[in-house]
Amino acid sequence: MNVSTKIRDPRSSLAPHAQPDGDARPAFLGFGLGLRTQHYDEILGGNPPIDWFEVISENYMVPGGQPLAVLDRIRERYPVVMHGVSLSIASTAPPDFEYLRQLRDLARRVEPKWISDHLCWTGVHGKNLHDLLPIPFTKEALEHVVGRVQLVQDFLGRPIVLENVSTYVQFCNSEMTEWEFLSELSRRSGCWLLFDVNNVYVSAFNHGYDPLAFLQGIPRDRVVQFHMAGHSHMGTHIIDTHDHPVCEDVWDLYAAALCRFGHVSTMIERDDNIPPLDELIVEVERTREIAAKVLPPPGRPGG
Amino acid sequence: MSDLARQQSEFQRGILAGEDTVLAEILDSPQEQRETLFGVYRHAYGARLVEAMRSEHQLLHAYLGDAAFDEIARAYIASHPSQHANLRWFSTALPDFLRSTEPYSDYPAIGELAALEKALNDAFDAQDCELLGLAGMAGFAPERWNDLRFRPHPSAVRLDLSTNASAIWLALKSGETPPEAGALGEPCRLLIWRQDVTPMFRELTCQEAMMWDEAAGGMPFGVLCSMLATYDDPDGAATRGAGYLHGWITAGLLAGVLGGD
Repeated sequence: MNVSTKIRDPRSSLAPHAQPDGDARPAFLGFGLGLRTQHYDEILGGNPPIDWFEVISENYMVPGGQPLAVLDRIRERYPVVMHGVSLSIASTAPPDFEYLRQLRDLARRVEPKWISDHLCWTGVHGKNLHDLLPIPFTKEALEHVVGRVQLVQDFLGRPIVLENVSTYVQFCNSEMTEWEFLSELSRRSGCWLLFDVNNVYVSAFNHGYDPLAFLQGIPRDRVVQFHMAGHSHMGTHIIDTHDHPVCEDVWDLYAAALCRFGHVSTMIERDDNIPPLDELIVEVERTREIAAKVLPPPGRPGG
Repeated sequence: MSDLARQQSEFQRGILAGEDTVLAEILDSPQEQRETLFGVYRHAYGARLVEAMRSEHQLLHAYLGDAAFDEIARAYIASHPSQHANLRWFSTALPDFLRSTEPYSDYPAIGELAALEKALNDAFDAQDCELLGLAGMAGFAPERWNDLRFRPHPSAVRLDLSTNASAIWLALKSGETPPEAGALGEPCRLLIWRQDVTPMFRELTCQEAMMWDEAAGGMPFGVLCSMLATYDDPDGAATRGAGYLHGWITAGLLAGVLGGD
């Protein structure tokens, strides 16, 4: 389905959040792209075949000006999802309520289809390292993160979506696998999952496990979004740089993920070395084509 | 302290202070030593913040080149660990750092160039508001003008420079060779704001700068004109004041007017 070719009714984007049932599974949005400043004019001046956009929340957590003005125009025409990098959901530092207030204010303005961030921490003791730092997969960490997710969801008034990050180290004291941790976190807190296909590939290589084991370990019904991205291979390890096209191995894993999870809103995430929009649309089209090949059309039984 | 909190503290010290205690808590991978793998985080921390500073201060970066800019950036990062959830605000203290830290303070044009870039960046995403238009002034009878007070646009800030940093900025922005940095005999009085979505700056005369500063501080129009009269040509002070006011309104510098009754 290419919803970008339809004339959008801006009011239609209000509908999901007007629903009293905040726990309802978010709708399938189709095949999208991460919104980047380099493409503003082309997107607003044309009608690129992109079903939806994911925006980096922090880029718009500013007082005003062009960023918010552009975002207002984008969301009039496309479904928008907010994706943050600073929630620091697993941090043992006290919750940052000022950040949460700003996030909630932005969500009231944007009315995103959902709000996502990462299963990670970004700092403690009042400092922010601006990185997606790994956690040990322990029962203690799970208790802590479940509590934080519930707090954030109460504050925002909606379930959040959490993404698996690329990691470079594993902790000696982990008591379960990452997929067991994510599954239990989602089950206990009610958060949805953003399955970053590239991050699974990266972490699986870095830690020497089968990415399909990760994939098979995640419940079928909790994944609402896929990320597709590129990385940098260093020989002995892979770094999640998001500055390259998606590699063939990750496309293969995407096909496998589709087979397991069915129709899941998918987007291309490029954060650096940003190419012209046309190049990214080619990748968006490929996500669409592979899904069409692997799956029956959405809406059919079993779809 | 919980085990998770202790681990996170050690992990953070491993990145910020280079401590190796955390290495005892993590595993080698099948292909690589833990020191190298943890090094990915150590490297990413500095690299990401330097990149953010290059992005916020593109012209200072162009002026100094990679090596000098990155040296400054790393000194700033070491002395100002980020306390912001949003990377946008990380380098907000860079102008003060450059003004107050040797050897950079020996080159005041660098700090002033950073201050001008910061002011323009801040204007770019400053709060939106309604603008005062000329029509908004038309309803005030002449006898009420003396009591009018003006509210600046939230993006508007003043900056007094002691160097030719604004000429350096203009040259860099145009892709031209910047002039040699130097001190000015008279301060360069700049007004920075956002017009529609575009950050702007322009130089003010001594009189206009005084009037702006006082107007922004809440001084009514009548007093502003009396103050202008102390500079020169007392008879033309009201006309000059009205002229400055007209320029501010048409440039989108004012958000509102109060008083008059």
